[in-house]
Amino acid sequence: MGQCSGIMDRNRVFITGLGVVSGIGNDKRSVSNSLRTLSHGFSPFPAYPPFEDDVSSLVKLVSTPKGFDVDSLDFEDWTYPDCYKIRREEMRGLAPHGVYVYCAMKQAIEDATLSSEDVSNSETGIYTASGGSPRLVSSNMNRMRELGPMRCSPTGIVSSIAGTLSFNLVACFKILGNSCGYSSACASSGHALGYAYNDIALGNQSRMFVVAGEDVNYESVVPFTGMRALSLESDPTRASCPFDRKRNGFVSAGGGVALVLESESEMKRRGATPYAELLGWGQASDGHNVAISHPEGEGLVRAMGNALRSTGVRAEEVDYINAHATSTLIGDASEGKALKEVFTKVGANPQVSSTKAITGHGLSLASGLEAAIVCLSMREGFTPGSAHIQNVDPEFEALNILGETTDASPSLAMSNSSGFGGANVSVLFKKPCTSSYP
Amino acid sequence: MSQGSLLANKMSDQRSMKAEVSGTPKTGSEALLRDTLKRCSPETLEAALKYRASGDVTLVPVIVLGIVERFLDPEVISKLRSGDDTVRFMEDLGLDSLTMIEAIMMVEESLGVSIKNEELLNLRSVGDLKVFIQEKITGFKSGESNEFYTIEQVASVMPQQDPFLFLEQANLSDRAAKGRYTISGQEDFLQGHFKGNPVFPASIMLEALGQLAVFSLLKNPPSEVGSSIDMSEVYFTGVDGVRCHRVCKPGDSLDLSIRLKRVRAPLAVFSGQITVGGEKAVVAEEITLAFKPMEPSTNGNGSEASALRDVSVSPQSTNGSH
Repeated sequence: MGQCSGIMDRNRVFITGLGVVSGIGNDKRSVSNSLRTLSHGFSPFPAYPPFEDDVSSLVKLVSTPKGFDVDSLDFEDWTYPDCYKIRREEMRGLAPHGVYVYCAMKQAIEDATLSSEDVSNSETGIYTASGGSPRLVSSNMNRMRELGPMRCSPTGIVSSIAGTLSFNLVACFKILGNSCGYSSACASSGHALGYAYNDIALGNQSRMFVVAGEDVNYESVVPFTGMRALSLESDPTRASCPFDRKRNGFVSAGGGVALVLESESEMKRRGATPYAELLGWGQASDGHNVAISHPEGEGLVRAMGNALRSTGVRAEEVDYINAHATSTLIGDASEGKALKEVFTKVGANPQVSSTKAITGHGLSLASGLEAAIVCLSMREGFTPGSAHIQNVDPEFEALNILGETTDASPSLAMSNSSGFGGANVSVLFKKPCTSSYP
Repeated sequence: MSQGSLLANKMSDQRSMKAEVSGTPKTGSEALLRDTLKRCSPETLEAALKYRASGDVTLVPVIVLGIVERFLDPEVISKLRSGDDTVRFMEDLGLDSLTMIEAIMMVEESLGVSIKNEELLNLRSVGDLKVFIQEKITGFKSGESNEFYTIEQVASVMPQQDPFLFLEQANLSDRAAKGRYTISGQEDFLQGHFKGNPVFPASIMLEALGQLAVFSLLKNPPSEVGSSIDMSEVYFTGVDGVRCHRVCKPGDSLDLSIRLKRVRAPLAVFSGQITVGGEKAVVAEEITLAFKPMEPSTNGNGSEASALRDVSVSPQSTNGSH
């Protein structure tokens, strides 16, 4: 964490570009519109044979990027929006979510106005987050058993295992700096963001891409049913309703996100405009249960405390929290307790919302997508509300939960993520004072 | 994409996966062949179906090239269709080794042959692949098959070494060899040949041909010799009928080829030719090397005496003639 180094020794880190491919939009404008109007990105998920008649066990909704079709087991069948061009030799190594992330990366490079030299040099690296592609792993294994190893695709491994995003994007975008994939389930892209911050803050790199993505298909979604973690509702407003009394599980999301982080000097050299300053981060672990968050949110309390301490920010200065809250009974409750411990207890009353009410829960994608949402809210002047709350659970009544999107941007925002095993990450963003945007 | 089609698509996909797992026949049915070749041209599929029925090996080139073409970027397809067997997969068509594996898998599935990794390494050009597959199917060795050697393999055999090794890869067949040297521009002698105008000396081009001939003698001694050849005892003795047709400069890749014309110990006579991008650069009607067959008791790691070094000062040198 580099917490022993003084705050003054660190380079400041800014977010200067982003790209999003998600259920709520495949570009900045549509994502912002969805957040302003709180329009969800869910679509029906098909019943899966041979259990299609057992309606009570079926997942009904998912959050899928529109304009992409990456369902086929043959990548040459895949389609994506015409504004992108992915060469065959690039496509063959990608997982379904690799296509989403590739397109998000193109957006982010254009958004940050980076030249190809800016992307490919020893000072520019990439950290990635994804759980791999269970769909491709399973089809490769089936093919291997059936036809033998020599009939398996030579890119079967690099397209499917957990490091797939790193392998492919480093090659496709000719990345020469640091590269690594992070795997801490729903906190993965929070870790990627945090360690990318460290690399720039400590002077190891001057620019980092942070990208994250997940498939959204039978093999990536349905296994969560067995954990009783998914909502089985068919009404979108009931299926994902963090903080609501009747919340009953999350809606799975797929997609891709890409963020460009730069040191202050590199940003100034290029004359780039920041969305937000990444002030720093904190992490801590529950040490409690493999899949259930600590009932008092202990690890998250310490993660938020570490983020505040390492950035020198006081709890009262934080005016917006993008919560991890996925709409599960236990998870939301434990985050609520943690927020009360860190904020309410010291008299702070930041606005709190969970944008997962409309985006769904993208697992490895979540923290990166929510960082992009915080960036958009700071640049475009809004604070996203927490949709689909009919009755706030009494558990959260002491918190300032924002039901509707407001027209003022947060000035200092925190974004939380918690993953399996009780891995908690908390990241702090500051609205830049010199933004040339309204 | 509408919700409806999304749904239909996913549904059909789950089913197709099941079908593939449980029902794929090991030897191809027509349906499987059609599926394997679904992105190839109709002519390719037609030829493959006919081949299945008739076993007519004259159809093989159409099938193999049709499969390769399916993996190419549109802008290089005309190169493949030019009919030139020297077109190389990697350098000329931009295929990497992973794509080669994809193409080979498809060839294997379509023609019912199986190809080993080490065989794959020797398939560098369209001609290599055509001949190789034909041999696989007929079981008949035409003697045209190639063995490919990298620069490391070449350097481990040759008496010449950097900075006087002008052979960076070689392809040996029965009584002929192909090789390549790319003029980097960093060669010391280019500073003075000529002042302000780096031109690769014709004498060095003959040296490169001579080195390819040496490599083929050492690696693949002609059957008439009946033993291996002492690496420290190969010398240049003469060259006849040299014509230079083209000035070669830094960045040019010299495609070297030699063919053994006759051998009678201690002399071996080769013809040689250099082309650059298909354009004739140098022709040598006869390059003669003197060699010494290895005595059964001789240790091959003898003196470091460099063979062939005198080529650049030989009377036949055409140095500067162009």
